[in-house]
This record gives sequence, C-alpha cells and structure tokens, in this order.
Amino acid sequence: MSPGFEFAQHVTRRHFLDACQIGLASMFLGSVRPATAAQEHTLAPKAPHYEPKAKSVIYLHMAGGPSQLELFDPKPELQKHSGTDCPQHLLEGKRFAFIKGVPQLLGTPYRFQQAGQSGTWISELLPRFAGVADEAAIVRSMTTEQFNHAPAQLLLHTGNARLGSASMGAWATYGLGSENRDLPGFVVLVSGNKTPSAGKSLWGSGFLPSVYQGVQCRTQGEPVLFLGNPEGMSRSLRRKTLDALGDLNRLRQEQSRDPDTLARIEQYELAYRMQVSVPEVMDISREPDSIHSLYGTQPGKLSFANNCLLARRLVENGVRFVQLYDWGWDHHGNARRTDIRYDLPDRARDIDRPTAALIKDLKQRGLLDQTLIVWGGEFGRTPMRENRQGDKTEYYGRDHHPDAFTMWLAGGGIKGGVSYGSTDDIGYHVDSDPVTPRDLQATLLHLLGLDPYQLHFSHQGLNQRLIGPTDEGRIVRELLA
Amino acid sequence: MIASVSQCTIRLVLSAVLALAVVSSGLAAPNFAVEVRPILQKCLPCHGPDDNSRMANLRLDSRESATGETGGYAGLVPGESSESRLIARVEADTNPMPPTGERLSSEEVDTLRHWIDAGAHYERHWAFERPVRPAQPDVSDPRWVRNPVDALVLATLDENGLRPSLEADRYTLVRRVSLDLTGLPPTPDEAEAFVSDDSTGAYEALVDRLLSAAAYGERWARVWLDLARYADSMGYEKDSLRTIWPYRDWVVKALNDNLPFDRFTVLQLAGDLLSEPTQDDLVATGFHRNTMTNTEGGTDDEEFRDEAVKDRVATTGQTWMGLTWGCAQCHSHKYDPISQKEYYSLYAFFNQTADADRNDDSPTLEVAEGVSTPIFRRVSDEERRETFVHKRGNFMSLGERVEPNVPAAFHGFSPASAKNRLGLAQWLMSEENPLTARVAVNRIWARLFGAGIVKTEEDFGTQGTPPTHPDLLDWLALEFMRGGWDMKAIIKTIVMSATYRQTSDASQELLEGDPNNDLLARGPRFRLPAEMVRDQALAASGLLSRKVGGPPVMPWQPDGIWQVVYSSRLWETSPGEDRHRRALYTLWRRTSPYPSMTTFDAPSGETCTIRRIRTNTPLQALVTLNDPPLMEAAQFLAKRAKREAHSSSESVLEQMFRLLLMRPPSAEESRRLLALHDEAASDLAEDPSGTRKLSNYDRVLYTENREATLVDDSRGNAPVWRYATVDPGEDWTSSHFDDSRWKTGRGSFGNSKAADNDGNDDPYSASQRTVWNTPDLWMRLEFDVPARGLDDFRFEVRHSGSFRAFINGIPAATDLDGAGTHVPYPVSPSARAALRPNGNVLAVHVVHTGLTDGGRNIDFGLTALQPPEFPDGRDQTPESAAWVVVANVVLNLDEALTKR
Repeated sequence: MSPGFEFAQHVTRRHFLDACQIGLASMFLGSVRPATAAQEHTLAPKAPHYEPKAKSVIYLHMAGGPSQLELFDPKPELQKHSGTDCPQHLLEGKRFAFIKGVPQLLGTPYRFQQAGQSGTWISELLPRFAGVADEAAIVRSMTTEQFNHAPAQLLLHTGNARLGSASMGAWATYGLGSENRDLPGFVVLVSGNKTPSAGKSLWGSGFLPSVYQGVQCRTQGEPVLFLGNPEGMSRSLRRKTLDALGDLNRLRQEQSRDPDTLARIEQYELAYRMQVSVPEVMDISREPDSIHSLYGTQPGKLSFANNCLLARRLVENGVRFVQLYDWGWDHHGNARRTDIRYDLPDRARDIDRPTAALIKDLKQRGLLDQTLIVWGGEFGRTPMRENRQGDKTEYYGRDHHPDAFTMWLAGGGIKGGVSYGSTDDIGYHVDSDPVTPRDLQATLLHLLGLDPYQLHFSHQGLNQRLIGPTDEGRIVRELLA
Repeated sequence: MIASVSQCTIRLVLSAVLALAVVSSGLAAPNFAVEVRPILQKCLPCHGPDDNSRMANLRLDSRESATGETGGYAGLVPGESSESRLIARVEADTNPMPPTGERLSSEEVDTLRHWIDAGAHYERHWAFERPVRPAQPDVSDPRWVRNPVDALVLATLDENGLRPSLEADRYTLVRRVSLDLTGLPPTPDEAEAFVSDDSTGAYEALVDRLLSAAAYGERWARVWLDLARYADSMGYEKDSLRTIWPYRDWVVKALNDNLPFDRFTVLQLAGDLLSEPTQDDLVATGFHRNTMTNTEGGTDDEEFRDEAVKDRVATTGQTWMGLTWGCAQCHSHKYDPISQKEYYSLYAFFNQTADADRNDDSPTLEVAEGVSTPIFRRVSDEERRETFVHKRGNFMSLGERVEPNVPAAFHGFSPASAKNRLGLAQWLMSEENPLTARVAVNRIWARLFGAGIVKTEEDFGTQGTPPTHPDLLDWLALEFMRGGWDMKAIIKTIVMSATYRQTSDASQELLEGDPNNDLLARGPRFRLPAEMVRDQALAASGLLSRKVGGPPVMPWQPDGIWQVVYSSRLWETSPGEDRHRRALYTLWRRTSPYPSMTTFDAPSGETCTIRRIRTNTPLQALVTLNDPPLMEAAQFLAKRAKREAHSSSESVLEQMFRLLLMRPPSAEESRRLLALHDEAASDLAEDPSGTRKLSNYDRVLYTENREATLVDDSRGNAPVWRYATVDPGEDWTSSHFDDSRWKTGRGSFGNSKAADNDGNDDPYSASQRTVWNTPDLWMRLEFDVPARGLDDFRFEVRHSGSFRAFINGIPAATDLDGAGTHVPYPVSPSARAALRPNGNVLAVHVVHTGLTDGGRNIDFGLTALQPPEFPDGRDQTPESAAWVVVANVVLNLDEALTKR
C-alpha cells in the first residue's frame, strides 16, 4: 500500500463529519421528493437520531446579561480589592462596550452561601433557587465572542452573530417536529415589557422554512396574532364558514387534483382547533391556589412568573421548545434602574421564586426528567465598575463582559448538583473548562436526541448547522446524568 | 394521451434526458457531469480545492492534480483503473474511502473504473461553460409550438412519452398573466373583454398592455428587492428607521422604463463611478446601501463596515452569478473554484466606499427637500484602503495583501475596464460571463412557474441541482443577451409560450409521475406570494390605492407588535388612502416586519433572499380568516358586489366571484355559498351586535380623526411650565401640591448650547427656550380638557434622558430612553380615567445624567383625537352582514390564494 493512502487511520473528526454530511446531502438530493416543499416541511413528530434524554426544552433567557458576580460566582479576592484601580495589564488589548480609561474593581454587595447537599455557592439574592440547587448543574465558565446585546443573543440562540440564521427552537422543531397537533411546536413568551435586543430574529426560522419559526404567545391581548375570530363572527358562524370553505375547496380539488389544496384544508381545521387549544393552554386562571402561591403568579398579569407557569403548561401539552425572554438585566449602573444595589434585587426576586417553582412543579409531575431547563444571559458583567458618568455618579453597575459568565441547566439528562468550570480570582477570565455558546448548543441538541454535527439544512451551498461550520462545539458530557 | 405513466418510468426517462451524452455515446465513458462528478464530490472535502483541508496531498477535482502532473500525489492512472489507487482505496477491506458515511456501491465503483479506463476525462461544471445555442429539435406536434421555448419543452416531453396539457381557459389565463406581470388581478371588465375577444392577437395585446402598466414595475421591483435585502430600517439592536425608499422608487421606475439589465446592473453597482452621474444614477447605488448598520452603543464601526462589505460580496455573487462566494470568506470554497484569496480580491472591489457603519448612514444624497438617502461614494485617494485576506474570516486577523480581481476560473477582466466596481459590473455583464444571463432568466422563469429550470436558484455551482431543461436555459440566456438584456422582452417571450398557457389542472397519473411539474406537461400552480395575498384582496374590494412611490406607509397592524428596545415609537396606522397602498410600500422594519406578510413567507430583509421557501401553515389561515384589514376587504368586497350586481342573491355572488376570481361560480358553488349566506343571515338576525360589527368593519378598525392639542409643545405655542431642579419631595405629582414657589419657563428645556459628543451643533437648540443643566428636572402644568368624547390621549415627547409623567398624581407614561424626534406615548388607562374637564395637573420628572449623545432636552405635549360623526343610514341588516361572511369565505378559497 502506497504511503499516500495511509492517512485513513489518522482521520480527524472534522473530516469524518464533513464526509457524513455530504453523504446525507446527496441522499437528500437523490431521494424522491414529496409533492411539494410545503408538504415536506411539517410539524409531524420525527424520529430523533438516537435515544433522547429530554423531550422538550424550557429556555429562560435573561436579556441584558445578568451579573454572575452578584448571583453565582463568589470572588473573595475581588471583594478584597474592591475600589482599587484595575491593574493595567488586565486592560491591555481589551475592548469594552462602555468602560473608558482605568476603571476600579468592584466587589459584590451580596453574601454567598453554600446550598444543598452539593454545597453549591449561591447568592443571597436567590434563596429559593438555593433550595433546588441540587437539581441544577451550574456552569461558571461560560464564555462568548460578542459583547453587544444583539450579536451576543443571536450567537447564543442562532449560532451566528449576524441576523438570518435559524434559532435553536426552530432547529429543534425542524429535527423533531411537535407532539401536539393543535399547538405550535416552538412557543416564545416575553416579559419585562420589551422584546430582547435582537428582536424577533431570535426566534425566527432564518433559512429554515417558516413553519419552524417561534410563535410568540402573548399573555395580554390575543395569545397568538389573529387567533380570535373577527369582531361579530361567532364560533358557530366560523364553523359554518369553514364547512362551506372546505366543501368548495374539495369541489375544485377534484378538478385540479392539487395536493396543496388538501393540505390547506387541513391547516384551516388546525387553525380552528388552535382557536380553542391555545387560549385554553394560555389560561392559567384555573390553576389551583397552591400552584399560584408556588410560582407567585397572578392571572392576567404580564410577568416572568406567569410565563414560567405557562411554560410548564405548554411542555405538558407536548410543545417542543418554550423560549422565555425576560428583559431588564443590563445593569450598567448609569441610573437607578440599572444599579446592582437598587434594581438587581428586584430582578432577582422576580425570577427566583418562579424558577425554583418551575423545577419543583415539573418534578412533582414527573416531567423534570424529560424537560431540559436552561437559564442564562447572552454574556456576563465585568469585575470592574463601569462608571460611565465619571466620579460623580452615585450608582453602581458593571459593563458587558463576554469572557466569563454563568449559566445553569436542570432536568432532562442533566446531572444535578454539579458545579462545572471556574473563573480566575476576580471572575475576569475562565480558568478551567470553558463552555462556549456552540458547546451549549451541541449539548442541548444532544440531549434532545439530535446529533449536533449531523443536523443540517442545505442553504446557499452550505450545509448550515446550529453549531456553525466548524466542529469546535462539543457536547459537555460532564454535565450529563 | 398519457398511457399509464408511473413515477418510476418518468424518473428513469428524465435521468436519461439529463444523461443525453451517455445515450449518444453508447457504452463508452460514463457521463462525467451526471455520473462521475457526484461520486467524486464525496471525496472533495479532503481532496478538493481547499488547500487547508487537503489530505495526503491528493486533489481529485482536476485531471492534472489527480494524475500527479502538477506535483501532487497520483490517485488516477488514466486508462488503467486497476493501477489507480483511487479504485483500490474505495474497494479496500480495511479503512476504505470515504472514511465515513456509506461505502461506495459496486455500481459506483464500476462507474469510476469505466471512466478511468476511458481516459479519466474531466469536464468543467456545466454552468462554468458559456451557453450554447441549441438546435431546434424535431418535435411530435409542431402545431403546438408557439415559440422556441415550446419546442425545447416539447422535445423533453416527447422523450418521456408525455403530451402537453390543454390551454387554460381564458378566465384562468387572464388572471394568471395579470398576477404574474402586475401582481394585481384584472378588473371584471378587463377579464370579460379578454374572454370575449376572439381575435388572434387578443392575448398578445393583453400581455403588451400589462407590461406597460405602472403596476408591472411595482410587481417586479418586489422580486428584485428580495435580492437587494431592501428594508426601511438599519437592522441590529436599535434597528432605527432609514430613508432608502428613493432607491425602491428608482427600481420601480427603472423596470417600468425597461432599463436594459446590463445598464440596470452597472448603475446599481457603480452609478457613482460614471462620469458625471445623475441624481438617479447615485440613488441606484442604494442597492448595496441596504446592508445593515449597527448603531448600538460601544460597537466597533470597522467590524460592522467589514460585515457590510462581506454582505456586498456575497449578495453580488448570489444575485448575478448564482454562486456562493460567501463560503470562501473563512476558507477556500470546498466545491466551487474560488479560493479564499480570490474572495478577498473580490472584497477589494467593494472596500473603497466612504460608508462606514455610521449612525447617520452617511454618505447620503438629498433627493428632495428634507429627504436624504444613502448612496455609494468612493473614498478619496488619500483614504484608500488596502485589502488583506482575513484569516478565518476575522477582520482583525490579517493575512496576505490582495488587489481587486476576479476568480481565475472565469473569463478574464477586460483590459479596457478599470479595476473598480464599474469594471466589476462590466465583467459581470460581459457576454463571456457564463452565468449572469442564465441566472437572470432562471429567476424570471422561477417567479412565473414557481420553480427555476435550475431549482437551486441560489446555487449554480457544483452543489446546486442540474437544470431540468439545459437547452431551454441556454436558449433563454442567449436570447436575453441577443435582445440587449431587454427584461420585458424576455418575460413576454415566456408568457407568450404555449408552455406557460397550459392549464394547471393535472391528471392523477401526471400528478403521481411528475409531482413537481419538472417536465412542464402542465401550467404553473402555486400559492400567491405574501404581497399578492394582500394586494389582490384590496384590489377586488375596491380599496386599493394606486398611488405609486413615496415614503413607506403603515397599514393597520395589531397593537404591541412594535415592542422594540430603545424605541417607544408607535406604529400609527397611516391616514387616508395610505393605509390601502400596495404591500410594496409597507414600512419594513427588519427586527419587527409586518406580521401578516412574514406569515406568508415574506423575507425580513436581513440578508439577500434568492428564493422564498413557500410554506403552508395554520397561522396563514388565521391571517386570511381574521386579520382585520382582510375583514375590511371582505366588507368592501361584499358591498361592492351588491352595488354592482343586479338585485338577486345569485348575481351578487356571481359579481363577488368575478371581482376576485374572474370567473362566474358553478351552480354547485353558488348553491353552497347561498346556503351559507342564508344560514349566516339567520344566525345574525339573533345577534344585532355581530351584525353591526360585521357591517361596519372599517369603523371598528379606523376612524378619520381630528387631533385636539391639550398641551402644546415647542413646535407650536409652548405654554409656561412650573419647574424645579431639586427634589420636591413627596406628593409633588398631585393636583393639590403647591408649586407656587417653583420657577417658571417655556418649553423646550435643555442645555443645547453645548455641542454634542461628536462636536456637532445640537439639533435642539433652535426650539430651546429654558435652560436646564441639572441631572433632574421636575415640571408641572395645569390644563383643561374642553371637548367631550375625546379619545386616544397621548403625549408627544422629544427627550434626551428618561421621563415619568403623571396626570393628577396617577402614573401616565414613562420611557427610559431618549427619542430624537417627537414620539407619541399613550396615556395609561388609569390616568385617562382620572381626567376631568378643568384643572388637571400634568407632572413630569425628567432625568438625564449626561454623557449620552446630544445635549439635554425635554419637550412635552399632550394631544387627543376627536372621533368623527358617522353619517347614519348604513346598511346594517343581517342580510348584508351575511354577505360579509360570504366574502370572507370567498377571499379564503384555495383558488383565490393560488396562482393557477
């Protein structure tokens, strides 16, 4: 055998996977295509690549970038040097969003305690979450490439810092379909009065067909746009119109034989069922008092707590991916509402009870094992005080920080009580076991039974993947049960 | 006719057609493009053009490298398959190639073996060879052939044993060609005139009339704007609005004027580089100013300038040549002949423009008073940038320096052309370019037939799908160039063909044998694009405004859609006819596009969209059933049908059908819908409120209001406020609070004497009447609400910091971020409830801690709307409301939503 062909033994994983995709792509192109693209892409359940650990995902995104130093990552050394100038060598070659000149190091005003049997360090701002800490795997070594909100959010959720790619939830429904015929497969709930920075692109389907895009359900007004019948049209009258519509469409279809017409009749019937099933699942008023007091929910209110309870109801009903966005975590310290002393405790209180409740509630219903919960922001915050206004300001806050932040995962397939990765003495850089957005995406798809390296969609000549073009993203096996 | 056609046989015959070379050359070498290349393709990730991922120094994408003639490792010995290591390695028992995925089948290995034995001759990818004029084929039915399109289509049908379908009936035809050419349905009179005109030239006269209609430019501009990633906002986090509609209007006009495609191209890519460019030539360069601008605080302008340049390279490659150049920004293309260095040589063409991710989108051109639109301008000679390869696509990691150039695999740059964008545009439009004309005619074909001759419109490279009708594609491309890139002429050629005029109804056999209509044995049939769903409903109901061009408009959309960070700007339904303009004119914000259109697959405009993927979802049903503007259309369709028809129910229904579908209903359809009408009328007889609402949908939706000013701002006669700059303590918002010792001053308040951070003059200084220098400002003002029945109270505020406003002590509005122009904020319901006729107190706390762009400024006003008096005597009977219900059904008919 000539030496030129001996490389097979040393084949790299990248090579392996590229080759896999080409195989798949040509299979796809060579296969007999279904009648139309519209029929090919449906939300019907699809088989995963392998046995899944989780059937559905509830992703809690804290838009703005919550401070890991106030919530999850205690740093006694930072505390000790609080108020001193940041050493010059830490600033060299750094780009910050707002910090100019030499900032001061800033310790946290909050105490940390060890929680649960695992002894996980949790801030006093999250007392209820501390009570369920043994269920969660805390990742203190998250790191990202982007330090502005919109690109960082897009990178995390779509795998690409630029607009136009498909969101995680869209990938999950593309890969697995939905378990409930009468509800969307990917639902988005927003709290904090504003949509996150990158807007609806965060739950868009990008280059995937739009059938996979997230459907924003609203807790005030119509839960899904145009769900309600027009004013003056009763449900019984709507039924009569759909009967007539179906009759006429079938009549024409006998002549045209267009299969799309039959598919459209089906979609109208699904829409009709959604008119009942969506408001039903979105109506939390019939939940017992015990549940309301567990979550801190008030029916009719626009709140993160209500959205957590809705998330449980949605996954209970077979929705594949529930994405929550909570706006208001951008604590720069340039006003009272962005001060880590005045505002952060309120934000923390607003999420502490419902997140702990969500874990407990899913557990008591036997759903935690099959539901993956992810919590985190698009980046973290600097160990330095931002001090945008100069010395005169009375407010305290931190700048955007992509190099180190904390997220946690719980539920389906996750090993509880784990603390993974670490940062340096002041929480500035990741010390060990870095986890990137791509790693998180790979892990999430893996838990759903989807091979992150194989799940792809052909677009613009590339096999697009959530984890991006290279195989750098790794499944973080240390977090898996 | 078609005798027992099975899916299998059609597919077999089709692949035989694609492999004509095989058939003609008997048992000799396998066809390289059809049989060999797909197998070799599996090897290219590691043995392809990308130097960085190549294994074992073996390249299999060209004969020279594969046989070792260029110094690499020889995997092939031409004529000697048994000596070729390629065969040994794919057949090896241990570690066979390819290392992953399925093993090559024995048929595939045999194909490779035969190919090597026959000399291992490579062929260039079909799309990289110039088109060749096909011979006029002999066909089975020359009488069916109206022009060469038909001969080429029929030749393929003949080979598959198929016959073309009959011509569509005239109602169908007039609707089809009207929608295709203008995006609008014909009026019933126009349809009837065509149907009853049996002269031979009737169809051609119709086509000519449609091509010269102003609506033609609007329809085909929308096709082009998908490529141009047109939107009325800048993208990214703030996604501020941008004034680039003059470019959109330029496209509409250029298409209506039938600007040749080569000129159309040159102006958009390089209008600024012409000697003495006109204003229009400069506006045309807006094509590439549709890239996104990131105005988020703390962004690196160079990073996003670089993104914009890369987007321009990718969009140019996709739009004109159907190639995925963008792949090569991080590494050499794995399949197509463009190296990373060549990519950055293309990048260099676009790297010399003066725009640089600035908040004001400069450079801009003032096209009318107060209207400035982004354009291209080249940098001055001193500002010229050098271009380097970006390692792994990272703009901060620079490699080798490069000069502007085009990829070596294609025709050379004309020595007469300058190495700038103008030269590049000329290179794209050169008759030597194998792709530009093919890509352009394929796009037109795809919009008319629902799918391109090359299905992957976005990829004519080796990874794309081969053309179903290669000869037809080449003929059209050559015809397009021969005619001087005349867009209307090539469209006319296609729609005049017998192929286009076939009925889209399919026999069961044909449907099973050729579900995608690849062979074109029937006419086109597919769901209308988003814009036509809306425009058709408005046109049929008589609501459509035919105003052409101008600033984008805001048709009605539900509240709460425009919930965007850093902007409290409201979506305010446009007044008058502007709420019924064509979809083309709808204000398009990238992060929050008009929802009922995105549901029908309209792209967001974030990146170049070559081909929309059509979907069929329940959310679409919800839009067409329930979206208020479509209900309004139903109301007006019903009203119009009643007005235009004779008195009988049958004739009302018939007119409704004619308005929307052109054709009269069948007896069965008529019977079914009249039954629905009677059911609905009897239901509504029991439901007076439902009857009223369905009859007055326009009133439910909008009202022609008059604005009443309760507190004027500095644009008018601003009143004198009481104000304080130190914390006034508790209770300062209430109407009882004593503010008599506060200072007094007129709005607006601010410290605009100071220039802003960039040293520019502060835009607020003109309106500033009272100086405010402190971080906090507390303001109070008493006002009355003189008129009764006022509605929709809102503050009009321009402010630099954050504010909280109270009415009579009740929180009324708040905003945490500034707004550079007056922006409406609705008054909260509780504050509204606290209003009384006299002696209300408006209290506002403003905070501006400094160091944001611009000076301190606050300008505060309050307005309300005075609803109009409605004339009485509206038709509000259950019988008429039932017609609205019927119209709602008719607008939702599958036939209405389909181009057929």
